[in-house]
Amino acid sequence: MLGLLVLLNDHKGSEDVARLADDLDLEIDEIFPALEYAELLQFVKVTDGRATFTDLGKKLVAASIRERKTIVREQLKKTPLFRTIVRALEASPEHRLTDEEFGHIVAFTTARTDGGEQNIVNWGRYADLFRYDSDEHVICPARRSSYQKGGSRGSPPTPGAPGEPAPAARTKPTPPETAQGPGTVSAVA
Amino acid sequence: MAIIRVDRVDKSFPTRHGTISIMQDISFQVKDADFLAIVGPSGCGKSTLLRLIQGLDHPTSGTITFRDQKVDGVAKGMAMVFQSFALFPWLTVSENVAFGLEALGWDPERIASQVERYINVTGLDGFEEAYPRELSGGMRQRVGLARALAVEPTVLLMDEPFSALDALTAEGLREEVLQLWRDPQLPPEAVVLVTHNIEEAIQLADRVVVLSRRPGHILAEVPVDLPRPRDRKSGPFYELTDRVFSLITEGGAVASPLGSGTPPAG
Repeated sequence: MLGLLVLLNDHKGSEDVARLADDLDLEIDEIFPALEYAELLQFVKVTDGRATFTDLGKKLVAASIRERKTIVREQLKKTPLFRTIVRALEASPEHRLTDEEFGHIVAFTTARTDGGEQNIVNWGRYADLFRYDSDEHVICPARRSSYQKGGSRGSPPTPGAPGEPAPAARTKPTPPETAQGPGTVSAVA
Repeated sequence: MAIIRVDRVDKSFPTRHGTISIMQDISFQVKDADFLAIVGPSGCGKSTLLRLIQGLDHPTSGTITFRDQKVDGVAKGMAMVFQSFALFPWLTVSENVAFGLEALGWDPERIASQVERYINVTGLDGFEEAYPRELSGGMRQRVGLARALAVEPTVLLMDEPFSALDALTAEGLREEVLQLWRDPQLPPEAVVLVTHNIEEAIQLADRVVVLSRRPGHILAEVPVDLPRPRDRKSGPFYELTDRVFSLITEGGAVASPLGSGTPPAG
């Protein structure tokens, strides 16, 4: 999906989907899933076969690799599926969901697709919403990184933002709920 | 100033049918803050050249220096990212990234903080305990990238790093590599990218070294003075692409169309 947004950015933020596909010789199956995710998470709007950045989409492509995760996390939390998973994780006694329980949630909330669950796990991992322990086969709360020192080196300078070289401004963006430390996924929902 | 000097390098391999020359008289430099791409048709010795630079193999004649030291054996200060990712399937993401640092004999605490930093900058946080088989191609190559960056190389060598990825994923990852390279506080200082994708070379690099068919020799060194992000559909971009294509098709048809006996090494 990120690749699609980068591509759209190369086209000044608005372009016919056909032309985007032509640019990288993409097949329908290659461009549409990415486009759907991007639309679902409100990064682009598609009207009359033309994709255009929303303000949030513009913000996402301008962001550093790490700031992007925070933006994606906030958007994922608005979707019924991820909201449900996070709530279920919070409600379960040991803050764990087995493969089976996870499968039930996914089946109730979305249409089933091949490899869909692995895909959902990877989105959750990417956005630091939850972890998956493939030895134990369980979903567990994200372990928020206690690592902050390196944050000052984590974000490349953003073009057009010359006024924020202060290390504090370049540490990992910390949404309010993470301030409470590990195991606070409950606060996310 | 030059970080790497490749000076009149020849490489040939002995085979059962005699010696095969892979490349001849290769000279170029990699400078501070350079993003250099090496392009050429398959079998022109691109990957071999990268291996020579890192010291994984020796030139038959000529010299390669890294920071004014002759490269003899695997040089510290360079790290490689591979087309096939080359991850250890039985190790988690964190363990894969830690691998090179363990080999350098770092103490565990220092390794842990280094691993965490490079997992973070490559966007892999959340995947620390995942195994490579659980990851998409793009995420796998991020692990390859994190592992290479963790040793804080001066020069990052990339051997067709985007070729095994689908087009959209590759596009996203290219942009991230540019972000990392441009960040003055992060390694590497310079990148050497080997690719057979001419558009990719022109999209990313400051200079493109164009190699001929085997035995590879340098046809031209093409500077790319286009502002980033580069628009692949723009006129100047197309002109450069066209120029490199022409160089390769016209230049050095030394090998016969059916090849000269042995499969290409690079």
